[in-house]
Amino acid sequence: MITLENVTKVYKGDVVALKDASCEIQKGEFVFLVGPSGSGKSTMIRLLNREEVPQAGKIFVAGKDINGLSSWKIPYLRRNIGCVFQDYKLLPNKTIYENVAFALEVIGRPKHVIKTQVPAILELVGLAKKQRNYPDELSGGEQQRVSIARAFVNRPLILLADEPTGNLDPATSVGIMRLLDRINRTGTTVVMATHDRGIVDSMRRRVVELDRGSIVRDQVRGVYE
Amino acid sequence: MALNVDYVARETGTNLVRNVGLTIATILTVVVSLVLVGAAFLIRQGVDNAFTTWRGGIELIIYLEPTATPQQTAAMRTSLADNPEVKRSEYVDKETAYKEAKKLFKNSPEMLSSIKPSDLPPSFRVVPVRGDVATVKVLENQYAKSAGVREVFSANDTIRTVQAIAGFISNLVVLAALILGMTAAVLILNTIRMAMFARRREIEVMKLVGATNWFIRVPFMLEGLVQGIFGSVLAVAVLVFGNNLFNSQLDKRGIKLLANFAVSNSDVTGISVILVVVGITVSVIFSGIAASLYLDV
Ligand SMILES: Nc1ncnc2c1ncn2[C@@H]1O[C@H](COP(=O)(O)OP(=O)(O)O)[C@@H](O)[C@H]1O
Ligand SMILES: [Mg+2]
Repeated sequence: MITLENVTKVYKGDVVALKDASCEIQKGEFVFLVGPSGSGKSTMIRLLNREEVPQAGKIFVAGKDINGLSSWKIPYLRRNIGCVFQDYKLLPNKTIYENVAFALEVIGRPKHVIKTQVPAILELVGLAKKQRNYPDELSGGEQQRVSIARAFVNRPLILLADEPTGNLDPATSVGIMRLLDRINRTGTTVVMATHDRGIVDSMRRRVVELDRGSIVRDQVRGVYE
Repeated sequence: MALNVDYVARETGTNLVRNVGLTIATILTVVVSLVLVGAAFLIRQGVDNAFTTWRGGIELIIYLEPTATPQQTAAMRTSLADNPEVKRSEYVDKETAYKEAKKLFKNSPEMLSSIKPSDLPPSFRVVPVRGDVATVKVLENQYAKSAGVREVFSANDTIRTVQAIAGFISNLVVLAALILGMTAAVLILNTIRMAMFARRREIEVMKLVGATNWFIRVPFMLEGLVQGIFGSVLAVAVLVFGNNLFNSQLDKRGIKLLANFAVSNSDVTGISVILVVVGITVSVIFSGIAASLYLDV
């Protein structure tokens, strides 16, 4: 589903964020990207989403070389990739329902599809009762559920999550992890960057560890260390 | 791609009302610059109408007798062609003269009805190499005595002065219109930039979930389109009103001398169509440019 071949990413100012990284992720896998702050986790996520392009190496997503992708095709790539962030990125002037519906609306999905998909996904994340509320009326954990609902409502092949539990307390984080696990069990490939030791250790999934831009460990059913 | 009409209408509407002040300022600037462009056209048209026969450097008109023989006409043609002081000359036959008279007197049919093509003398319109008074005078005297010539007219100073002033004014107006046009373009760019900045969170999410750049751009371009439509329609209204006012003043005060300056309705319609097309095209293009330019907010 995802292949990185000797990928190097250098930001301006000669910051090497990723150095000769190679890695292959199968369809339906759940992968933790771990490593200290600044080790290149977010960079890897942004490369997969083609928010950034590498200086060297190749990246394949769903069988396509995404470096060579012409710019008008990028939106179609992103329709296959859901994204979740530490800061949720919800729109404060839209209700929960509208926030999720927006993601379908702007890719031209017809109204009747939106009307059935949005309530269904809100049911799945356990927020059916809060449809009419605004994001600032929800707890952090609930807001993150909305953002997961928005990322998953279009049933993407891949879900990228960059520190989704970074702003949440451990108990709430467990709930978010259950949700991501559930999504993974539907066949969606999940890549999650985190430095939350407890979560990684309890889930016992594949762990890819980054250190100053290099992949230093790739372990099936791994722990944080 | 199916564009959701609800979505586009809602977003465009929000953008337009978000900053009413700037929207109005932009529309007014579009109006004023288009009115100036239109006015310049109308002034030119009016002067051209009034001096149909004296266009393009023509300083001298040699009227032949209606009874002039083909030999006399041919002799005159050769003489003009061989004259080193004459840059160019043009023969106007009776039919052409009648057509011009029809145009000139379209506002006074009673005058037109008294003219027949056969009454009108054929003429040569002469563009001299040098247009100064002395040269023209020499040419005038030279040809006044030729065979078959009835009369020679030269452009007098009044006509020249009016043409020069009108030309100057319309150039000035065009210049002002250009400056205002650029202002309007900058204002459109700015309105769109502010609208996009206000919506940067939405745009970020849209890109993230895979909205195409066109989809993101369309509401902003429509905002420009709405401004262009309002601006050019208002400009046309101002011009039509202004032209009618001018014409009615000409009629009411009986300014016979200026009657020929009147611009026909078909001219006004033509200019209006041009203004609407230009106004809308320019504003859509500029908002498209702005939307692409500021898409990376
Ligand atoms: N947009 C950017 N411009 C320049 N340097 C950046 C940019 N983003 C990240 N970096 C640098 O790249 C390195 C890796 O960053 P990042 O991928 O965000 O790491 P992590 O997510 O693991 O904390 C860091 O040194 C960071 O300062
Ligand atoms: Mg990070």
